[in-house]
Amino acid sequence: MPSMPKRIKFRKQMRGKLKGNATRGNYVAFGEFGLQSLGTHWVTARQIEAGRIAAQHFLRRQGKVFIRIFPDKPISKKPLETRMGKGKADTDYWAARVKPGTMLYEIAGVPELIAKEAMARIAHKMPVRCRLARRRLAV
Amino acid sequence: MHDTPTISATSRERTGTRYSQRLRKQGRLPAVIYGHKKTPLSVSIDEKEILILLHSGAHVLEVKVEGGSKETCLVKDLQFGYLGDNVIHVDFARVDLDEEVTVNVHLNFVGVPESAKKAEAILTHDITELEVICKVNAIPEEIRVDLTAMGEATLFTIGQIELPAGLKATADSESPVCHISFVHQEEAEGEEVEIDSSEAEPEVITEAKTDDKDGDAKKESDK
Repeated sequence: MPSMPKRIKFRKQMRGKLKGNATRGNYVAFGEFGLQSLGTHWVTARQIEAGRIAAQHFLRRQGKVFIRIFPDKPISKKPLETRMGKGKADTDYWAARVKPGTMLYEIAGVPELIAKEAMARIAHKMPVRCRLARRRLAV
Repeated sequence: MHDTPTISATSRERTGTRYSQRLRKQGRLPAVIYGHKKTPLSVSIDEKEILILLHSGAHVLEVKVEGGSKETCLVKDLQFGYLGDNVIHVDFARVDLDEEVTVNVHLNFVGVPESAKKAEAILTHDITELEVICKVNAIPEEIRVDLTAMGEATLFTIGQIELPAGLKATADSESPVCHISFVHQEEAEGEEVEIDSSEAEPEVITEAKTDDKDGDAKKESDK
Protein backbone atom coordinates (compact mmCIF):
# COMPACT_ATOMS: atom_id res chain seq x y z
CA MET A 1 0.00 0.00 0.00
CA PRO A 2 1.65 3.27 -1.05
CA SER A 3 1.97 5.55 1.95
CA MET A 4 0.62 9.12 2.27
CA PRO A 5 -0.01 11.54 5.13
CA LYS A 6 -3.02 10.91 7.37
CA ARG A 7 -3.78 14.59 7.95
CA ILE A 8 -2.75 17.57 5.84
CA LYS A 9 -3.24 21.30 6.22
CA PHE A 10 -3.85 22.08 2.57
CA ARG A 11 -5.07 19.79 -0.21
CA LYS A 12 -2.72 21.12 -2.92
CA GLN A 13 0.84 22.47 -2.90
CA MET A 14 2.98 24.53 -5.22
CA ARG A 15 5.72 22.67 -7.05
CA GLY A 16 8.68 24.31 -5.34
CA LYS A 17 12.36 23.94 -6.18
CA LEU A 18 14.84 21.29 -5.13
CA LYS A 19 18.16 23.09 -4.71
CA GLY A 20 21.42 21.99 -3.11
CA ASN A 21 22.30 18.90 -1.16
CA ALA A 22 20.60 17.17 1.75
CA THR A 23 21.70 18.55 5.10
CA ARG A 24 19.39 16.38 7.17
CA GLY A 25 18.76 12.66 6.93
CA ASN A 26 22.05 12.25 5.08
CA TYR A 27 23.70 9.57 7.21
CA VAL A 28 23.00 6.00 8.30
CA ALA A 29 21.11 6.36 11.58
CA PHE A 30 19.14 3.17 12.25
CA GLY A 31 20.63 0.27 10.32
CA GLU A 32 24.14 -0.77 9.37
CA PHE A 33 23.94 -0.04 5.65
CA GLY A 34 22.04 2.60 3.75
CA LEU A 35 21.02 3.47 0.21
CA GLN A 36 21.96 7.07 -0.46
CA SER A 37 20.65 9.22 -3.27
CA LEU A 38 23.16 10.89 -5.57
CA GLY A 39 20.62 12.97 -7.44
CA THR A 40 17.60 15.20 -7.06
CA HIS A 41 14.09 13.90 -7.76
CA TRP A 42 10.55 13.47 -6.55
CA VAL A 43 10.32 9.82 -5.48
CA THR A 44 6.71 8.68 -5.68
CA ALA A 45 4.93 6.64 -3.02
CA ARG A 46 4.65 3.78 -5.53
CA GLN A 47 8.40 3.78 -6.15
CA ILE A 48 9.09 3.76 -2.40
CA GLU A 49 6.70 0.84 -1.96
CA ALA A 50 8.22 -1.02 -4.95
CA GLY A 51 11.65 -0.64 -3.35
CA ARG A 52 10.42 -1.99 -0.03
CA ILE A 53 8.78 -5.00 -1.67
CA ALA A 54 11.88 -5.73 -3.77
CA ALA A 55 14.07 -5.69 -0.66
CA GLN A 56 11.75 -7.78 1.47
CA HIS A 57 11.24 -10.39 -1.26
CA PHE A 58 15.01 -10.73 -1.49
CA LEU A 59 15.70 -10.68 2.25
CA ARG A 60 13.12 -13.40 3.00
CA ARG A 61 12.48 -12.63 6.67
CA GLN A 62 16.08 -11.74 7.42
CA GLY A 63 17.10 -8.33 8.66
CA LYS A 64 15.06 -5.18 8.98
CA VAL A 65 14.41 -2.55 6.32
CA PHE A 66 14.00 1.08 7.36
CA ILE A 67 12.43 3.58 4.95
CA ARG A 68 13.94 7.01 5.61
CA ILE A 69 11.79 9.05 3.22
CA PHE A 70 8.07 9.78 3.33
CA PRO A 71 5.87 10.96 0.45
CA ASP A 72 4.31 14.09 1.93
CA LYS A 73 4.07 16.22 -1.22
CA PRO A 74 0.81 16.03 -3.21
CA ILE A 75 1.39 16.13 -6.97
CA SER A 76 -1.61 17.20 -9.03
CA LYS A 77 -2.29 16.21 -12.64
CA LYS A 78 -4.96 17.35 -15.08
CA PRO A 79 -7.08 14.56 -16.64
CA LEU A 80 -6.41 13.61 -20.27
CA GLU A 81 -8.02 15.67 -23.05
CA THR A 82 -8.89 18.50 -20.66
CA ARG A 83 -8.63 22.13 -21.74
CA MET A 84 -6.20 24.32 -19.84
CA GLY A 85 -7.47 26.52 -17.05
CA LYS A 86 -10.37 25.91 -14.65
CA GLY A 87 -8.04 25.84 -11.67
CA LYS A 88 -5.46 23.46 -10.28
CA ALA A 89 -6.15 19.78 -10.82
CA ASP A 90 -6.74 17.14 -8.15
CA THR A 91 -3.90 15.24 -6.47
CA ASP A 92 -2.70 12.37 -8.66
CA TYR A 93 0.00 10.91 -6.44
CA TRP A 94 2.22 11.64 -3.44
CA ALA A 95 5.98 12.09 -3.59
CA ALA A 96 9.01 12.56 -1.35
CA ARG A 97 11.52 15.27 -2.16
CA VAL A 98 14.97 13.72 -2.54
CA LYS A 99 18.23 15.65 -2.77
CA PRO A 100 21.83 14.39 -3.24
CA GLY A 101 22.85 12.80 0.05
CA THR A 102 19.35 11.82 1.24
CA MET A 103 19.35 8.38 2.85
CA LEU A 104 16.50 6.49 1.18
CA TYR A 105 16.54 3.09 2.87
CA GLU A 106 18.53 1.39 5.61
CA ILE A 107 19.05 -2.27 6.39
CA ALA A 108 20.03 -3.86 9.70
CA GLY A 109 20.75 -7.39 10.84
CA VAL A 110 22.17 -8.89 7.63
CA PRO A 111 25.73 -9.45 6.35
CA GLU A 112 27.23 -6.90 3.97
CA LEU A 113 26.91 -9.06 0.83
CA ILE A 114 23.18 -9.60 1.37
CA ALA A 115 22.63 -5.93 2.22
CA LYS A 116 24.49 -4.91 -0.96
CA GLU A 117 22.32 -7.14 -3.15
CA ALA A 118 19.11 -5.97 -1.46
CA MET A 119 20.13 -2.34 -1.93
CA ALA A 120 20.95 -3.00 -5.59
CA ARG A 121 17.41 -4.34 -6.07
CA ILE A 122 15.95 -1.26 -4.41
CA ALA A 123 18.17 1.01 -6.51
CA HIS A 124 16.63 -0.46 -9.67
CA LYS A 125 13.24 0.85 -8.54
CA MET A 126 14.50 4.35 -7.78
CA PRO A 127 14.37 7.27 -10.22
CA VAL A 128 17.76 8.53 -8.99
CA ARG A 129 21.34 7.24 -9.01
CA CYS A 130 22.15 5.72 -5.64
CA ARG A 131 25.12 4.37 -3.71
CA LEU A 132 25.64 2.09 -0.72
CA ALA A 133 26.50 3.93 2.50
CA ARG A 134 27.82 2.68 5.80
CA ARG A 135 27.74 4.14 9.30
CA ARG A 136 30.00 7.13 9.56
CA LEU A 137 32.76 7.76 12.10
CA ALA A 138 31.63 8.93 15.51
CA VAL A 139 33.60 10.58 18.30
CA MET B 1 47.70 3.49 30.57
CA HIS B 2 47.84 2.86 26.83
CA ASP B 3 50.18 4.63 24.41
CA THR B 4 48.79 7.78 22.89
CA PRO B 5 49.33 7.95 19.12
CA THR B 6 51.18 11.00 17.81
CA ILE B 7 50.18 12.99 14.75
CA SER B 8 52.13 15.83 13.20
CA ALA B 9 50.36 19.07 12.29
CA THR B 10 51.29 22.21 10.41
CA SER B 11 49.91 25.54 11.53
CA ARG B 12 47.64 27.33 9.03
CA GLU B 13 48.36 30.99 8.50
CA ARG B 14 45.41 31.59 6.17
CA THR B 15 42.00 30.29 7.08
CA GLY B 16 38.66 30.21 5.29
CA THR B 17 36.81 28.06 2.79
CA ARG B 18 39.08 28.56 -0.22
CA TYR B 19 42.30 27.88 1.68
CA SER B 20 40.71 24.86 3.37
CA GLN B 21 39.64 23.49 -0.03
CA ARG B 22 43.17 23.90 -1.35
CA LEU B 23 44.49 21.94 1.65
CA ARG B 24 41.99 19.12 1.05
CA LYS B 25 43.10 18.86 -2.58
CA GLN B 26 46.65 18.34 -1.31
CA GLY B 27 45.51 15.43 0.89
CA ARG B 28 45.50 17.39 4.15
CA LEU B 29 42.61 18.15 6.49
CA PRO B 30 42.04 21.50 8.20
CA ALA B 31 41.74 21.21 11.97
CA VAL B 32 41.59 23.42 15.03
CA ILE B 33 43.05 22.99 18.52
CA TYR B 34 41.24 24.79 21.32
CA GLY B 35 40.53 24.65 25.04
CA HIS B 36 42.21 25.13 28.42
CA LYS B 37 41.83 28.93 28.05
CA LYS B 38 44.64 29.13 25.49
CA THR B 39 44.34 30.74 22.08
CA PRO B 40 42.80 28.49 19.42
CA LEU B 41 45.26 27.22 16.84
CA SER B 42 44.34 26.51 13.22
CA VAL B 43 46.34 23.56 11.90
CA SER B 44 46.33 21.08 9.06
CA ILE B 45 46.92 17.33 9.39
CA ASP B 46 47.53 14.45 7.01
CA GLU B 47 44.14 13.05 5.94
CA LYS B 48 45.19 9.39 5.57
CA GLU B 49 47.00 9.40 8.90
CA ILE B 50 44.07 10.81 10.87
CA LEU B 51 41.50 8.57 9.17
CA ILE B 52 43.50 5.44 10.02
CA LEU B 53 43.65 6.56 13.65
CA LEU B 54 39.95 7.44 13.80
CA HIS B 55 38.91 4.14 12.21
CA SER B 56 41.01 2.29 14.79
CA GLY B 57 38.96 3.96 17.54
CA ALA B 58 41.52 6.52 18.75
CA HIS B 59 40.02 9.37 20.78
CA VAL B 60 43.12 10.95 22.33
CA LEU B 61 46.08 12.04 20.23
CA GLU B 62 49.39 13.80 20.81
CA VAL B 63 49.36 16.61 18.26
CA LYS B 64 52.88 17.77 17.40
CA VAL B 65 52.58 21.19 15.80
CA GLU B 66 55.50 22.15 13.54
CA GLY B 67 57.76 24.53 15.42
CA GLY B 68 55.70 24.17 18.57
CA SER B 69 55.19 21.86 21.49
CA LYS B 70 53.23 18.60 21.72
CA GLU B 71 49.65 18.92 22.91
CA THR B 72 47.45 16.15 24.25
CA CYS B 73 44.15 16.49 22.46
CA LEU B 74 40.77 14.79 22.42
CA VAL B 75 38.99 14.46 19.08
CA LYS B 76 35.99 16.57 20.00
CA ASP B 77 34.09 16.89 16.73
CA LEU B 78 34.19 15.92 13.08
CA GLN B 79 32.63 17.75 10.16
CA PHE B 80 31.42 15.80 7.17
CA GLY B 81 31.06 16.62 3.48
CA TYR B 82 27.86 16.79 1.48
CA LEU B 83 27.33 13.04 1.27
CA GLY B 84 27.57 12.91 5.04
CA ASP B 85 30.49 10.54 5.51
CA ASN B 86 33.73 12.12 4.24
CA VAL B 87 35.58 13.98 7.00
CA ILE B 88 36.37 17.58 6.03
CA HIS B 89 37.41 19.12 9.37
CA VAL B 90 38.54 17.94 12.79
CA ASP B 91 38.16 19.69 16.15
CA PHE B 92 40.76 18.90 18.81
CA ALA B 93 40.19 19.90 22.43
CA ARG B 94 43.21 20.26 24.72
CA VAL B 95 42.92 17.83 27.64
CA ASP B 96 44.92 16.53 30.60
CA LEU B 97 45.28 12.79 30.90
CA ASP B 98 43.65 12.84 34.36
CA GLU B 99 40.70 14.98 33.23
CA GLU B 100 37.20 13.48 33.12
CA VAL B 101 35.54 13.74 29.71
CA THR B 102 32.38 12.57 27.98
CA VAL B 103 33.03 10.52 24.84
CA ASN B 104 31.20 8.17 22.51
CA VAL B 105 32.80 4.74 22.39
CA HIS B 106 32.05 2.21 19.64
CA LEU B 107 30.25 -0.99 20.73
CA ASN B 108 31.65 -4.26 19.41
CA PHE B 109 28.86 -6.85 19.46
CA VAL B 110 30.07 -10.43 19.94
CA GLY B 111 28.08 -13.66 19.78
CA VAL B 112 24.50 -14.52 18.84
CA PRO B 113 21.87 -14.80 21.59
CA GLU B 114 19.70 -17.94 21.82
CA SER B 115 16.52 -15.97 21.12
CA ALA B 116 17.97 -14.68 17.81
CA LYS B 117 18.45 -18.25 16.55
CA LYS B 118 14.67 -18.79 16.39
CA ALA B 119 12.87 -18.66 13.06
CA GLU B 120 11.79 -15.19 11.87
CA ALA B 121 13.82 -13.49 14.64
CA ILE B 122 15.64 -10.27 13.77
CA LEU B 123 18.40 -8.89 15.98
CA THR B 124 18.42 -5.08 15.78
CA HIS B 125 21.11 -2.92 17.34
CA ASP B 126 19.43 0.21 18.71
CA ILE B 127 22.77 1.89 19.39
CA THR B 128 26.23 1.24 17.98
CA GLU B 129 28.11 3.60 20.27
CA LEU B 130 27.78 4.47 23.93
CA GLU B 131 28.33 7.82 25.61
CA VAL B 132 30.53 7.34 28.67
CA ILE B 133 32.19 9.54 31.27
CA CYS B 134 35.75 8.54 32.07
CA LYS B 135 39.27 9.82 32.54
CA VAL B 136 41.13 10.65 29.33
CA ASN B 137 43.75 7.96 29.92
CA ALA B 138 41.03 5.33 30.42
CA ILE B 139 39.09 5.82 27.15
CA PRO B 140 38.85 2.40 25.49
CA GLU B 141 39.04 1.95 21.70
CA GLU B 142 35.81 -0.07 21.85
CA ILE B 143 33.49 -1.72 24.35
CA ARG B 144 32.93 -5.43 23.89
CA VAL B 145 29.29 -6.47 24.27
CA ASP B 146 28.73 -10.20 24.66
CA LEU B 147 25.22 -10.90 23.38
CA THR B 148 25.25 -14.56 24.39
CA ALA B 149 24.47 -13.27 27.90
CA MET B 150 21.00 -12.34 26.60
CA GLY B 151 19.92 -15.97 26.50
CA GLU B 152 16.19 -16.26 25.81
CA ALA B 153 15.48 -12.59 26.54
CA THR B 154 14.48 -10.25 23.72
CA LEU B 155 15.95 -7.05 25.15
CA PHE B 156 19.52 -6.12 26.11
CA THR B 157 19.89 -2.90 28.09
CA ILE B 158 22.77 -0.54 28.85
CA GLY B 159 22.79 -1.76 32.45
CA GLN B 160 23.67 -5.27 31.22
CA ILE B 161 26.87 -4.14 29.47
CA GLU B 162 30.02 -5.03 31.39
CA LEU B 163 31.83 -1.69 31.29
CA PRO B 164 35.60 -1.55 31.83
CA ALA B 165 36.73 -0.11 35.17
CA GLY B 166 36.48 3.68 35.44
CA LEU B 167 33.76 4.05 32.82
CA LYS B 168 30.26 5.31 33.57
CA ALA B 169 27.47 5.38 31.00
CA THR B 170 25.56 8.66 30.81
CA ALA B 171 22.36 7.11 29.45
CA ASP B 172 19.67 5.44 31.54
CA SER B 173 20.56 1.86 32.47
CA GLU B 174 17.15 0.70 31.21
CA SER B 175 17.72 2.10 27.67
CA PRO B 176 17.89 -0.62 25.02
CA VAL B 177 21.16 -1.58 23.35
CA CYS B 178 19.67 -4.21 21.09
CA HIS B 179 16.42 -6.08 20.81
CA ILE B 180 14.97 -9.06 19.02
CA SER B 181 11.78 -8.69 17.02
CA PHE B 182 9.83 -11.27 15.07
CA VAL B 183 8.71 -10.74 11.48
CA HIS B 184 4.98 -11.01 10.83
CA GLN B 185 3.78 -13.10 7.91
CA GLU B 186 2.29 -10.15 5.96
CA GLU B 187 5.34 -7.95 6.39
CA ALA B 188 7.66 -10.74 5.29
CA GLU B 189 5.73 -11.41 2.11
CA GLY B 190 5.68 -7.70 1.34
CA GLU B 191 2.59 -7.89 -0.85
CA GLU B 192 0.65 -4.88 -1.97
CA VAL B 193 -2.81 -4.46 -0.41
CA GLU B 194 -5.62 -2.81 -2.35
CA ILE B 195 -7.38 0.02 -0.54
CA ASP B 196 -10.58 1.90 -1.19
CA SER B 197 -10.19 5.25 -2.90
CA SER B 198 -12.31 6.86 -0.15
CA GLU B 199 -9.77 5.76 2.49
CA ALA B 200 -6.88 6.99 0.34
CA GLU B 201 -7.83 10.65 0.86
CA PRO B 202 -6.02 12.29 3.77
CA GLU B 203 -7.95 14.47 6.21
CA VAL B 204 -7.59 18.20 5.42
CA ILE B 205 -7.37 20.10 8.72
CA THR B 206 -8.20 23.57 7.39
CA GLU B 207 -11.30 22.34 5.52
CA ALA B 208 -12.64 20.65 8.66
CA LYS B 209 -12.30 23.97 10.52
CA THR B 210 -14.21 25.94 7.86
CA ASP B 211 -17.01 23.35 7.95
CA ASP B 212 -17.34 23.85 11.71
CA LYS B 213 -17.45 27.63 11.28
CA ASP B 214 -20.20 27.28 8.65
CA GLY B 215 -22.09 24.99 10.98
CA ASP B 216 -21.82 27.47 13.86
CA ALA B 217 -22.94 30.36 11.61
CA LYS B 218 -26.00 28.39 10.48
CA LYS B 219 -26.93 27.62 14.08
CA GLU B 220 -26.70 31.30 14.98
CA SER B 221 -28.83 32.32 11.97
CA ASP B 222 -31.47 29.71 12.95
CA LYS B 223 -31.67 31.23 16.43
